[in-house]
Amino acid sequence: MANPKDKYKIPVLDGKIPIPKIVPGASAYEHMNEAQKVDMEALGFPFKLKDGWKEKAIGVFKEILDNNKAVRDYMDICVRCGACTDKCHFFLGTADPNNMPVQRQELMRKVYRYYFTPSGFFKSLSNSQELTEEVLKDWFTYFYQCSECRRCSLYCPYGIDTAEITMAARQIMDSIGLGQKYATEVIHKVFRTGNNIGIPPLALRNTLDDLEEEIKEESGKDVKIPMDVEGAEVLLVPPSADFFAMPHMESLKGYAKVFYKSGISYTVSSYASEAGNFGMFLGSYKNTKEINKRIWDEARRLKVKRVVIGECGHAWRAAYTYSNTMNGPFDFLDAKYRQPMHICDFTLGLVKDGVIKLDPSANDDKVVTFHDSCNVARGSRMGDFKGGQIVIPRELIKAAANKFVELREGTTKESTYCCGAGGGLLTEEVMNLRLAGAMPRMQTVKEAVDNHGVNFYALICAICKTQFSKIFPLHGFEEEMVGGIHQLVSNAIIM
Amino acid sequence: MTPLNLTTAIFLFFTYTVGLIFVIAVALRIYQYATTPQPIKLPLTPAPLTAGGAFARILGEVVFFKSLFKSNKPTWLFGYLFHIAFFLLIFMHFLRHFIYANPLPWWYDIFVDIGIVCGVVMVLSLFLLLMRRVVVERVKFISLFSDYIILILIMLIGLAGLSLNYVISPAALTVVDNQLDPYMNGLLNFQFTNIPSNPVFLIHYTLVLLLVLYIPFSKVMHFVGIFFSPTRNMVDNPEEERYYRPNAKDLSI
Repeated sequence: MANPKDKYKIPVLDGKIPIPKIVPGASAYEHMNEAQKVDMEALGFPFKLKDGWKEKAIGVFKEILDNNKAVRDYMDICVRCGACTDKCHFFLGTADPNNMPVQRQELMRKVYRYYFTPSGFFKSLSNSQELTEEVLKDWFTYFYQCSECRRCSLYCPYGIDTAEITMAARQIMDSIGLGQKYATEVIHKVFRTGNNIGIPPLALRNTLDDLEEEIKEESGKDVKIPMDVEGAEVLLVPPSADFFAMPHMESLKGYAKVFYKSGISYTVSSYASEAGNFGMFLGSYKNTKEINKRIWDEARRLKVKRVVIGECGHAWRAAYTYSNTMNGPFDFLDAKYRQPMHICDFTLGLVKDGVIKLDPSANDDKVVTFHDSCNVARGSRMGDFKGGQIVIPRELIKAAANKFVELREGTTKESTYCCGAGGGLLTEEVMNLRLAGAMPRMQTVKEAVDNHGVNFYALICAICKTQFSKIFPLHGFEEEMVGGIHQLVSNAIIM
Repeated sequence: MTPLNLTTAIFLFFTYTVGLIFVIAVALRIYQYATTPQPIKLPLTPAPLTAGGAFARILGEVVFFKSLFKSNKPTWLFGYLFHIAFFLLIFMHFLRHFIYANPLPWWYDIFVDIGIVCGVVMVLSLFLLLMRRVVVERVKFISLFSDYIILILIMLIGLAGLSLNYVISPAALTVVDNQLDPYMNGLLNFQFTNIPSNPVFLIHYTLVLLLVLYIPFSKVMHFVGIFFSPTRNMVDNPEEERYYRPNAKDLSI
């Protein structure tokens, strides 16, 4: 078997994150696989470009401009000051100028100028461009080299959010039949089975049984993970990776122990067995709403009082920001609680109230650091105060482990670097892109390992966990370094 | 009343036309930004939890360019100097017209000196911003023709304005001053008088008209757009208060 290291272009880690000299077309070869017919049709999109695609695309573009203030505003107001040019992890990793946020936006803005502004008249002077197949090819390449992490928006003097533009571009492409295989396939699975992985209810019950047994062996306690139980107090919705993938499952054990010790009744659902919402990656309101709706339909059906979401970045943003707008109001739930609530917020509350006790010395073999997931840090909140999404996970880590160090300043909290695989990029065919996108973050990991002996990389995102489990070994770090915050809780909780 | 000359007639026509286009086009833009629905909450977090906080956040951007300060210090410095000088100059041009009287107030000379400092600072900062676009590889790559044009246009306006103080004779400047005041009053109350005929002044005035005409169709509209930027002006309270816009289509997030 070939060494995977020969197959991939692995960036050298020296702890530095230099701004590269631009190399036009450097990552033009990184393509997503195109969507399959069944998936596109299941999502209500046509399959493959058909006659009249251009008019259709411009029609959808116009509708977006008329119905989305963010896109409308952001098409006009960029002054090309260049503040964002060195902020995107994909530019830092690939050196491809189309991965500078402003230039990624320009791919769309030049089409906007052509069709929707008077300056389209002065074509060569205003850099306006008709929507051709060539342009579409660039869109399909580079709008799938954006992980929608919003780091550029943080640094933009006008807050221009490339993620919104990426979503709009993907929406236009989907509506004319040019979709991405990975995200459309995943959403189709959610519609069929309730989760991204495609686990049917019986298999899910089996894996929960196995987990219960594992916990019993480890702790000697009969910790249950109930499924589809009517009348439970809490509906717990983890990302489906927590049921099947490593190290995600370790966090699921953590959630189960927290519920066990707190005595709060809970259930997972086989219908809403997914916190993740890939509709967001398409930028499709309709699909995002449909996926999100499953959680609230199930909360109604199971007559729970509250909904708690597991460790997942974009899932938390979707649940926190979109739920109430898309499928609210939640007057059938208990108004005492935040609806939905993040599992870290939930667990930390129990720790603070003394309901559960953690023994941080159980994690004394670990030097822990924390990676702020982009969609949590820049797209959501936990708790009832500004910046809770930054503070609460750290407080929970500190309650569960004694040795905690921060990653390099300027790359954490709201300035965090993305893992390089968010936004629907967590797929094999763009592994080199994922490696390049993870480079800035890996440099800071390398630094933390060298300077502080960090050996545990705490995460609260299923995509981050999968991405780093894959990337760490390629850089010579142990795969076991990657884990969830509730994995630490699972070790530390006094049973 | 002296009869109007041809130059004045032409400039009157263009001044009103440009003014009208500017007001209508900017008003339309504001209307468009204000009425386009925003389908979902989009604040870039950590974000304020109250409307007052969100307003303060926007003010922080408008008054101090906080995000730009965080991202790039030289760009912030040059950009900030330019904007401060530019706004002071616009303000002083208006102020000058309304305080202009004989005899001149005792502080008039200081006032002029401040104006000249602002003019010099503006032209220099514009030059540095232009150099940035030529020298810094990434910024050069992203710069479009229109990015250079706007810098050069405002720079020329500044240079022509400064020339009124340094290139033409003080006596000629006094003539311009004495003709400009009634001309400007005339624009407002339709009692037209001749425009100053000094060529340096006419260049300055023409370039300003060009700028005002260009603004509604250019990136300069950022001065309006920033107030409507959802990532900055939205309150982070989707759970506490249901945000729902029935007129937003189920289309794009």
